[in-house]
Formats: sequence, structure tokens, C-alpha cells
Amino acid sequence: MLLIKCPYCQEDRPEIEFSYSGEAHIARPLNPDDLSDEEWAEYLFIRSNRRGLHHERWLHAHGCARFFNALRDTVSDKFELTYKMGEPKAQVKK
Amino acid sequence: MLSELKIDQAVELAPILTGEVDLLPVQTRYSLRVKPKERCAFIEASNIDLPAQIGKMSVQYDRVVLCIGPDEYILICSLAEREPLARKFEELMGKYIFSATDISHRNVSFILSGEQTTNMINVGCPLDLSLENFPVGKCTRTIFESAEIILFRMGKTKFQLETWRSFAPFIVGYFEKYCLQNRGK
Ligand SMILES: [Zn+2]
Repeated sequence: MLLIKCPYCQEDRPEIEFSYSGEAHIARPLNPDDLSDEEWAEYLFIRSNRRGLHHERWLHAHGCARFFNALRDTVSDKFELTYKMGEPKAQVKK
Repeated sequence: MLSELKIDQAVELAPILTGEVDLLPVQTRYSLRVKPKERCAFIEASNIDLPAQIGKMSVQYDRVVLCIGPDEYILICSLAEREPLARKFEELMGKYIFSATDISHRNVSFILSGEQTTNMINVGCPLDLSLENFPVGKCTRTIFESAEIILFRMGKTKFQLETWRSFAPFIVGYFEKYCLQNRGK
């Protein structure tokens, strides 16, 4: 079983306590009315679908019940790091 | 007036395995939300000891307070304290920023004890329950099979497990099977 470090609990916890909630750092447009249909569709549906290091949101659903962000390798499934909501987007080392 | 509480009539609990799995009598439970910056003022005003860190619990008289989220606490105590607490929260409302919800009827509590306790919990819960990783006084919300539970350690071989009352028969079933299979080993 995968262990995921929750940045709020500060512990490695079993994967089944968590749920995945899509790509992270996608800001809702401030003025949706100003957007064209294409731009709105882009915001709603288009994701980077990255192969490799991916910024994503997770929820420690059966734990502290907090959302947090993670940088995970979609090929190896390895979590590079996890960090609290509101903290700046983690930089990917080249 | 708060009426006498009963575990939901829909729940028919199988006979409990005395000494290994014991059902606690009906308890008072409050879900409290207090932001970290309000915590100290709230403690002072309420005389309720809110632990400072997720996963820690405080014991005051017969009252247990668990910190299970950055601003989330579960208070468990005897039924006699239910009305005094309700009055206290009413007094504090408006003076301090917090929320208090009576969830007494929502959960049932089991006391699990004996040498086999950690093995029995690990039947459905993947946490590392070694004393190093899960010492006496630690608490957490987690999962048992697919049912959400709150688990805390009261002694080396003594845990309390809280779960929604509708999950209780399901969880008891697991404990029964475990105890029957391992009895006399
Ligand atoms: Zn957590």
C-alpha cells in the first residue's frame, strides 16, 4: 500500500484514507462573463495530463479532512512532496 | 429540553464480546470547530482543554477532547455533562468565534482491550499501531474496512473506537469473527 504524507497531520498515512481531486493550481477566472465559450471550456475541462511530475490536489478524507497539494510522478507513482493549501506551487527540479 | 438519548432503534447490535469488545453506554459528544488563533481564548473561557496539535487528546475529569483536524475537535463525556455544556456553549456564542454541534446520537463507542487488540483493529484498519507510532494518548480519524472511525489509544492494550451508529453492526461483525477465530490461541 502507498503511504502519503499529509502536510497537516505531518504523518505518512495509508493511501485508502485519501482521495484524488484533480490537477492543482487551476484558478477560477475572476470574471467568467468576460470569457468566450472556448476559454470557459478550457478552464473547465482542459488539463495538462502530464506524463511525469504532476501538480495535483488530494483530500485527506478519512483523516484531518483537509485538501492539500502534491507533486507526484504519474509514471512511477512516487510522491515527490506534499504541501499545504495556499503555499506556492512547488517548483519542479530539472 | 434535551431528551434521553437512545442508540438508533434501527441498530440491533449483536451480543458484545465482553472483555474484548465492550459497548460504552450512551455518551455526550460535541463536534467543536475553533480556529488556532481563537484556541487559547476559547480554552480560558470554556475550561475545555483543546489539544494544540492534530492527533493529540486531552483528558479532563471524565471528559476526552480529541484534535482530529487543524481546527476540529471531538469532545466525549458522560451524559450528565450534556446540558451543562449546551448552556456553556450558548453563553460563549457571540463572544468567541467557534461552532459546537451536538452529535451525541450520531456515534457509538467501543472499548477494545486485551493482548490481541492491535491485531484485531488491524483486521480492518491499515494504520501502524505499534507503541512507537501510535502511543498512548494518540487519536485520529481513519478507516476500518470501508467505515470511517475515530480511534484513540487509552492504554498499551486499550483503545476506544468511535463510529457512526449505522456502521456499528458491520464493525462488530468483524470483531466477532476475529475473536471467535483467535480464541484460545
Ligand atoms: Zn491529514
